[in-house]
Amino acid sequence: MRMTKSRSESLVILGSIAALCAFTIARYVERHAPYFSAPETIVDHVDKRTHDNRDLLVLLPKIEPLIPRNVEVTCFRPLAGQQQFDGPNYLAAVGLLPHRSVLPPFTAAADLPVDQLVEYVIAIREPFAHPAYRVVASYPEGTLYRVNR
Amino acid sequence: MTALVWIAGVVAMTALGLPMLRIPAVNDLPVPARLAVLFALGQLNGSILMTAMSMAGLPWSRATVVVAIVAALIGTPWRSWSASANAVAWRDALPLAAVILLTTYGAATARLTCGDLLFFWGPKAQHFYHSTRIDIAFLSFPHYSLMHPDYPPLLETVYVWGSIVARRLSLWGAVLLTPVHLLATALAFAGFATRSLGPRRAWTFAALLAAILAYGFTTSRAAGGADPLLLLFEVIALGTAIFSESRGRWLLCGLALAGAALTKVEGAAFAIALLIAITVTRRSVRETLLAAAPPAIALAAWIAFAKHHGILDSYGRGTKPLIWTQLQTVIAATLRQISYRAFYLPFIAATLPLALGSQWRRTIIPLVTALLSVGYIFYFYLHEPEPAWWIKTSAERVFLTTLTALVFASAAAADLDPAATHSLESRP
Repeated sequence: MRMTKSRSESLVILGSIAALCAFTIARYVERHAPYFSAPETIVDHVDKRTHDNRDLLVLLPKIEPLIPRNVEVTCFRPLAGQQQFDGPNYLAAVGLLPHRSVLPPFTAAADLPVDQLVEYVIAIREPFAHPAYRVVASYPEGTLYRVNR
Repeated sequence: MTALVWIAGVVAMTALGLPMLRIPAVNDLPVPARLAVLFALGQLNGSILMTAMSMAGLPWSRATVVVAIVAALIGTPWRSWSASANAVAWRDALPLAAVILLTTYGAATARLTCGDLLFFWGPKAQHFYHSTRIDIAFLSFPHYSLMHPDYPPLLETVYVWGSIVARRLSLWGAVLLTPVHLLATALAFAGFATRSLGPRRAWTFAALLAAILAYGFTTSRAAGGADPLLLLFEVIALGTAIFSESRGRWLLCGLALAGAALTKVEGAAFAIALLIAITVTRRSVRETLLAAAPPAIALAAWIAFAKHHGILDSYGRGTKPLIWTQLQTVIAATLRQISYRAFYLPFIAATLPLALGSQWRRTIIPLVTALLSVGYIFYFYLHEPEPAWWIKTSAERVFLTTLTALVFASAAAADLDPAATHSLESRP
């Protein structure tokens, strides 16, 4: 009797493990190909759609050398050419640019006087249409701007 | 390469746990579980050391790492190290190995990454590393308030430790640390359960726990966040309270609860839940106090530090009133989310073996803990004016604690191994 119960226990547990692994693989497949090549960023396959931070993670290594240390910078995906509160990109930039002072996107607002504008803007994917800023470098994932003072 | 050095640095924190071999409840475990527990306690000790240095105004450096490891090695009672009596056959370890490999694949192909790693765990660790201390100026900057300034610092300090070794923060290292924490969690579980179930069945249950957590990590995208480490501490605390008979078990339970409380705000709630479960089943004030002292002291010190620097945030919310009008929304959204898009499979898998068990008295601690964990999760959600989004992004992660307690209940209910001591049958 004990052997039978022990065997049932093993079968139930191993069956559950197999089912859970199958569902895990299904979730992996859902998060799209390629399945056997090294991803470029840590967010490449976390969802069916492109992750909010992917462009920033690809863009930053290219533009970081162009941003001096200890300057003020902000980061967002522009909406209709203007700044917007873009939590994911702003917060991630805080961690990815530890030697710069990363400020919230409203520091690049259209109604701020030029002397109060943040010096550098990292605009993700979309163009930033503020007349006080000029392009420093542009890539498909985004553009680095600097204020004209 | 940086990621591997970074992970090796974090794994080396195991050395900081070695002096804990003085606790018989640690030293009595099979070797794999002992190493897993020392790994967890090493991270706790390292974090306490780094936090204490910050409180004292001392900066962290490579010398901190070297001196701490050398001091721990000198303070290790090497002679008390005993060989493992319960070796496991390689074929019994195969299911667990398969689950760990699957999780490693998911982490390495960026399929499990936690958004919070980029939004606050990573930024905090990065700034703490560069400022060589818990950076109060950074935490108190009003525009970074979304990063939860008073969140306990264990995970960030562990990440800083790895960064000191690798000379930079590795986000890939943080992501790939998740399978390491999952393996340690499963090994700890197997070690605690071996005494009553025997090694073969203990490892099978451990593989079940790992499979449930691995799937939960996938659906909730947990890699690089705090939940894998939190669950490691929770498993050690539950395992000690349910299965251990060794001397010093309540101290070990308390240290694991301190680790949980210093990892996440929910960790403190879990500590209270388990302490209530221990109190109602064991009815021993001394045991409860022994287990409660470490988390109470650790958390009180952190909250006092946060209050002194004016960064109290999450810990202040408990005093706000519950929004009962949200109850229906909270229940509906939570029930929808914790199906895990798998017809509640994690819950079915965790509880199905219960039907085959017979040691019901031993399930009281894990079942009470599971029930109370549901209670505190709802308590948190009912403080939110619009909880739907929060539930959508967190329920699958926070309910992993409930699922873990349910797997413990199933393992505790299982028939005892014939070789197990008879005294276990009468234990609650």
